[in-house]
Amino acid sequence: MSTVEKLKQAVMNGNREDAEQLAQAALNENVDLVDMIGELSDGMGIVGKKFETFEVFLPEMIAAADAMMAAMDLITPKLQEQGVEHKKGKVILGAPEGDMHEIGKDIVKTILSGNGYEIIDLGTDVNSLTFIKTAQKEQADIIAISTLMTTTMPGATEVIQLLRDQGIRDEFKVVVGGAPTSKEWAEEIGTDGWAQDAFGALNLINGLMNK
Amino acid sequence: MAYRLWEVMKRSKNGEFMEEKEYLHKRLIPGIAGVVKKYNIKYDRSNPVPSDDELADRIWQAAREFFLTVGVYNQDTHRIIKFSEEELNEALYSAPSQHLVGEGKDARIFGHRQVEDKRPPFVIYSPDITYDEENFLSICLAYLKEPLLDGLCAPVLEQFMGMKITSRHPVELGGSMHHAMSLREAARLVGRPGVFFVAVGTAESDVGQIHVSDPNWGIRPSDGRLVGSITEFMTNNSMLNKATHYQQYGSFGGSLTGAIFGGYAGGAEGTAVLETAYHLKGLMVHQCQFQQNFPFHLKYGANTTRELLWVVSMYSQAIARNTHLVQDSNGFSIAGPGTDMLYYEAAAHSIASTVSGANLWENAPAMNKYHNRGTPLECRLSAEVGHAVAVQGMTRKEANEIVNKLLAKYEDKVDNPPLGKTYQEMYDINRAEPHVEYMDQFKRIKEELSGMGIKFLF
Repeated sequence: MSTVEKLKQAVMNGNREDAEQLAQAALNENVDLVDMIGELSDGMGIVGKKFETFEVFLPEMIAAADAMMAAMDLITPKLQEQGVEHKKGKVILGAPEGDMHEIGKDIVKTILSGNGYEIIDLGTDVNSLTFIKTAQKEQADIIAISTLMTTTMPGATEVIQLLRDQGIRDEFKVVVGGAPTSKEWAEEIGTDGWAQDAFGALNLINGLMNK
Repeated sequence: MAYRLWEVMKRSKNGEFMEEKEYLHKRLIPGIAGVVKKYNIKYDRSNPVPSDDELADRIWQAAREFFLTVGVYNQDTHRIIKFSEEELNEALYSAPSQHLVGEGKDARIFGHRQVEDKRPPFVIYSPDITYDEENFLSICLAYLKEPLLDGLCAPVLEQFMGMKITSRHPVELGGSMHHAMSLREAARLVGRPGVFFVAVGTAESDVGQIHVSDPNWGIRPSDGRLVGSITEFMTNNSMLNKATHYQQYGSFGGSLTGAIFGGYAGGAEGTAVLETAYHLKGLMVHQCQFQQNFPFHLKYGANTTRELLWVVSMYSQAIARNTHLVQDSNGFSIAGPGTDMLYYEAAAHSIASTVSGANLWENAPAMNKYHNRGTPLECRLSAEVGHAVAVQGMTRKEANEIVNKLLAKYEDKVDNPPLGKTYQEMYDINRAEPHVEYMDQFKRIKEELSGMGIKFLF
């Protein structure tokens, strides 16, 4: 088994320490960086599929993403030295004002970051204007809003309204998700997309970034 | 128990400091995995209603150890609130085993039940979803007309005066007041003015809840109130505000928790341990008088799948066998109203809960996400099934067989469930009564369930 294959396996096993050591070993062997990232993404994809079918659960998914991030922390400076752009896009993620629920947002964060997106996690109970100001400051591509309560869904509507009122609606794609939300509601309030779950969010954002 | 509030406030400020992510990744996740392994807790998919007393007791031991060692995290103060074994034992000993809830002729005993208890469950009806503002009184009336209803939680309002209700916004206060007043008006109109409410679900925020405390038009000390939490094993100042207010106002506090299958707790084993441990969080941190459990599946948002029925049965048995705490089991179904699948799900959840020692809180259909899609009929079926299996003395073994038969009827449909009908489609709104065709369906389902061994009482 090659060093990169061992690295992929370490990520799939959620072994952070092994992933760090093997990533460093692969870098020492001058393995092609793009190929290495491709293998890591493939490994995350396999873990993601198992999570989707509940062969593994969130703890295993988090451990795999953590191991992947540990490897990427070593690989990224080398990529920058070589002038290679590897991030697929930048996503501002949070739950709207009044919503204190973390788990759905955290699963989306894990899946997206494991698939090459840079995530700015604003946490829960996020003011609508904070989503927008952070997106501007970070020059983000996507604002992603996760909400679990019917009474916090209007926070997503407010983000859209504020973007429109400031004449900057076209600067960011806005996507929504969460237990009480629906495709119909997402269309009604004028978002760029809705996802049923974290994997739906990945597909949706991949689609929006490729437009 | 109110004095403990002050200790919780103190520990909430002075407990061990930790970042939230670190608590989740380094305490909660390994904490659950550790006790699941130590106490050898294994999920058995062939027995959704197990008859294994030792397993129930091991789950209880695992939950106790997890609660005492991991503690509860305050998201606002970033502190971990912990208790000693002695404090926990004292609280478990001194907690009442029953409460007289509601008022006057409508008052009821809401109490602890044993595994395979022949006393019928206390049944709280609740669709847990939102309805059109113009039909709100009708839907409240429809629920309150139900004969086996011991208490009512929500229909929930989504709008007030045509404005979307937003948490912590003045419209939430208006909507919450409208909700409370509608419940009171409906209760008086159906002749149950003292009926027990767990309300109001429209008020998500602490300020919304506190706003509706009024013995005349609003929520009374004889009613129940909820402190709800989902992100695993956490509290925050808003929840503690609610808990403090309920204690000082005098209402019955309910700890509303839903451990997530597939989430931080992992699979069925960890989910059962976590939901059991939530009883201790409710008792100690939020000082609640009853525990409302709604563990749910990460994908389906429901607890009528095979794994979740096992979870429901196991934490209910663990609590029923090892404490005298008051618990109820909150059904969340996948299919929508007016479908056979919803009735099968409701019956399975009711049977698994009742024989395992729980009271009932039924039923949120259609994955709890579709406006107007919830009716009293599915709750009525759950209640009639719960009363029947308790009174006939159904054992867990018998229950297991019936639940397996019911699962066989809907398990293959969970990925593509029928959405069903709305309240407006199934009910005469003016009379708040179901249309004949839906009553015929209800009777047909009861006959089918009778054939499986459920001895309905009427």
